[in-house]
Amino acid sequence: MISVFFVASCGLAYELVAGALSSYLIGDSVLQFSTVIGCYLFAMGVGAHLSRYVTDEDVLARFVDVELAIGLLGGASAALLFLGFAWSAGPFRALLYALVFLIGALVGMEIPLVMRALNAREARFADLVSRVLTFDYLGSLAIALLFPLVLVPHLGLVRTGFLFGLVNVGVAAWTIHAFGGAVANARGRVLRAGAVFLALGAGFAASDRLVYFSERGMFGDDIAYAITTPYQRLVLTRWKDDLRLYINGNLQFSSRDEYRYHEALVHPALQSLPWARSVLVLGGGDGLALREILRYPNVRQVTLVDLDPRVTELFSTAPDLTALNHASFHDPRVHLVNADAARWIESTTDTFDAVFVDFPDPSSFALGKLYSVPFYAALRQRVSAHGTVVVQATSPYFAPHAYWCIEATLREAGFHTAPYHTYVPSFGEWGFILATEDGAWSPPAAYRLPMRYLSAEVTREMFAFPPDMTPPKVEANHLNTQALVRYFDEDWHRVIR
Amino acid sequence: MRRRDFIAAAATLGAGGLAVAGFEDSQRYDATIDYPGRAIGHRLRDARELPPPSETWRTEVLIAGSGIAGLTARRQLARRGRTDVLLLAGPERHGNAAGGGDGELRYPTGAHYLPLPSRESTHVRELLADFGIITRDPYGERPTYDERFVVHAPAERVWYRRAWQDGYLPTEGVGAAERAQAERFFAEVASFAQARGSDGRRAFAVPVEHSSTDARFTVLDAQSFAAWLDGRGYDAPGLRWYLDYCCRDDYGRCATEISAWAGLHYFCARDGDAANAERGAVLTWPEGLSYLATHLEAAGAGAIVPASVARLRVGADGVEALAVMTDADGGNPRTARILARYGIAAMPLYVLAHVLVDPEKHGFTAGRDLPEYAPWLVANFILDAFPGERPGVPLAWDNVRYGSPSLGYVVSTHQDIRLDRPARTAFTAYHALAERGARAGREWLMRASARELTELAATDLGPAYGWRLPLCTRRVAVTVRGHAMAVPRPGFLSNAGVRALRTGNGPLWFAHTDLSGVSLFEEAAWWGYRAANAITGHPPT
Repeated sequence: MISVFFVASCGLAYELVAGALSSYLIGDSVLQFSTVIGCYLFAMGVGAHLSRYVTDEDVLARFVDVELAIGLLGGASAALLFLGFAWSAGPFRALLYALVFLIGALVGMEIPLVMRALNAREARFADLVSRVLTFDYLGSLAIALLFPLVLVPHLGLVRTGFLFGLVNVGVAAWTIHAFGGAVANARGRVLRAGAVFLALGAGFAASDRLVYFSERGMFGDDIAYAITTPYQRLVLTRWKDDLRLYINGNLQFSSRDEYRYHEALVHPALQSLPWARSVLVLGGGDGLALREILRYPNVRQVTLVDLDPRVTELFSTAPDLTALNHASFHDPRVHLVNADAARWIESTTDTFDAVFVDFPDPSSFALGKLYSVPFYAALRQRVSAHGTVVVQATSPYFAPHAYWCIEATLREAGFHTAPYHTYVPSFGEWGFILATEDGAWSPPAAYRLPMRYLSAEVTREMFAFPPDMTPPKVEANHLNTQALVRYFDEDWHRVIR
Repeated sequence: MRRRDFIAAAATLGAGGLAVAGFEDSQRYDATIDYPGRAIGHRLRDARELPPPSETWRTEVLIAGSGIAGLTARRQLARRGRTDVLLLAGPERHGNAAGGGDGELRYPTGAHYLPLPSRESTHVRELLADFGIITRDPYGERPTYDERFVVHAPAERVWYRRAWQDGYLPTEGVGAAERAQAERFFAEVASFAQARGSDGRRAFAVPVEHSSTDARFTVLDAQSFAAWLDGRGYDAPGLRWYLDYCCRDDYGRCATEISAWAGLHYFCARDGDAANAERGAVLTWPEGLSYLATHLEAAGAGAIVPASVARLRVGADGVEALAVMTDADGGNPRTARILARYGIAAMPLYVLAHVLVDPEKHGFTAGRDLPEYAPWLVANFILDAFPGERPGVPLAWDNVRYGSPSLGYVVSTHQDIRLDRPARTAFTAYHALAERGARAGREWLMRASARELTELAATDLGPAYGWRLPLCTRRVAVTVRGHAMAVPRPGFLSNAGVRALRTGNGPLWFAHTDLSGVSLFEEAAWWGYRAANAITGHPPT
């Protein structure tokens, strides 16, 4: 029955380290997720192979050692990775794969050693295999439930890591206790277990501070807010007067230069639509685009559709955020809808004079569909006769194929386009595409409202593309092939290397 | 940790413990088993007594069957101005194109996709344009399709050596010689796809009736696809598994049992291109072909009655039929007599053989001409959450397991365009029971317990998701199709009885994909379209 413990712990360390860390820290890239798991499974194979070099007399002692090593490495892995990620992104992957490999190899040794230890002592082999594997999978099941439901929400990743480390140490201690004399040098191993236990316990106690320091290291600044919603993890940092929002580790804005982004997103379109009454914003839960839109007295109603109620709630209540977005969510003209914008657009019957689409970049097949002909065609149904659409379209400098693919897709959906770009220091060169039904659109020559960034001259330059940003030859984003996701992936790969 | 959190955590721990204790039980699924047509079918087969008709219905055109053939005929009649039409829906509305639902979820319980129609399939292109699925240039080289319905990337993936990879045929981790053989195969079928016979027709066409009758090609019908592959030196195990999978997927049996002509038809006939999709793309909907059946239904005219035909004959003044209505369990039968000027028997041949009076007069002898029917199991796993994925390519529309005797599973919400994935979904698993004989498979399906059926249905889902599958599954909706499709065995092209049924001259016509010998939407629609045109005096095109 001790095997319950053994094996549950194997399952734990497995699910925890491989699954959560890769998705949490490296983000949503399928490639990385699968390579981490692949590496882990491969390492388990190596571990299983290595286990044959343990002699029969040594099995129990080695098992204790392996458990202690897993406890130490696995337990501290989350903290190590967090800290490593905070300090440097370069060797981070080396650290990640090295850790994953080491832990995987150790975990791979566990089950063979357990089976051999038990085989030498009791039971038919058939019973043994059945029982060990049953409990192995049961352990996985228990952890699969506990991990997302209880442990991570209540303890956080780093502390959960330490907790599992402690469980491994517990298994080691239990083994020494249960098999007593059969374990060589039991006293020495008890001491070692104690040391590891203390180290992990200290880590467990200090994990909040560790996370704070590592996120601070990662983002470079103090953490003002950090919330995890069912959809994403938001971290808001502050350094002097600079507020920065990160979603899943990706910078969304810096309060120092966000006005550049949002003025460029909103004003070229709205300056040209003095008759605009109703405006739609898809995404933009930070209320910053909203702030710019509400400056127009002719705008009577703004509908903002954002998926995550926790985000819009944060941005309509936290004082320094409402100071930044001028309490835009409290404006009576604003109608907030917390819904999936793509689903909402299919069901609404309203039409809008201006639409601003501020979706996440097309980094997955699911998100790529929000930059497709059917989506834009549905959007077109919701735009009034001489209305205008503006789409956030990634960087025409760093991701030119993706940017121009979005432009081609809008044209394929029947829009006339006016692509433009601007420089946002914290982002780099960033791109938008303005789309109209009739094509009779030209950039505004002046702005009625005072601007911090835009001027007639800046606007002229925004709509001109210098020679190093010449449009490449691209195909439109057809859902059957989803060229955009491939372009986006390849473009950013070239940048990051 | 606050007190409330602690209680919540403790409760969850307890639930986790219960889940562990109930591990054995969790392997079982809450399942509903549907046997469409079984009750009424067995009543007709066993020629059980029916009560005498209590009333008589008169109509100009009687259509017996609400599958794609019957519905296409009804629509075509309406287009030609014939509205005095009575359609008897048969035991299952939409037949093999049926679908189901659970809350907001829609899923197929039969066929679930339509390849981009070939150049010859003008009858299909016409209705797709009518339904707004083709948005531009319906009869051109490359029509534009509404992309919501063209299967979205990633379209398919295959589970091979503990990881998912792109496509159906594994390429990663496969030797160069095997890959070269696959390339040789696809090059050879590509040249067959271009080939034309001495009659100027394409060697393999959809509709099948438009294919060349040049003996150079029809001779392929004399041997099995497996024998043809052997003869051409295609022996790579990966390629052969894939080709076998294709045969089971389209014809319900393995390559050893189907005609080489049919095997090649699968690869050569579907040459539909699109302005906005790749060749080989397919159209799909969450509810499968039920989407098209529903549109066809709406485009027709005249009553649709939930009754089945028990007897059908050519009478003095047209067509006479006996319609039978029963309760859902097949009990409490009532009958009505139907007098029609024209009739369209839009039902599979194994039903026709029991219903048609004197089939020999129409040239059809059941003992000689009736094809073998493959049984199918279609199981919809209604999931409350997406189960965690194993390494490799992310969840695709169609997901198959290399080496599996089953046919993989499709994801009903794949075509959603959403910021966030839906909370719930349905995975539809298909299994043709090709590993058993057709009759043995059918008998097993009728005998099998709910647990045996769901276990068979999970042949591919099980290995892909392990224990996560029962954890995420709310229930399984199983559809048992004892006679899902006619199998194109060697020699099927020269089936004399089927040929005779194709060339009816009224007042009774036959319309079913069985007249083509292969089970395809395009073929069913073709025969429905032809029958309606014949009735309205338009010569076949």
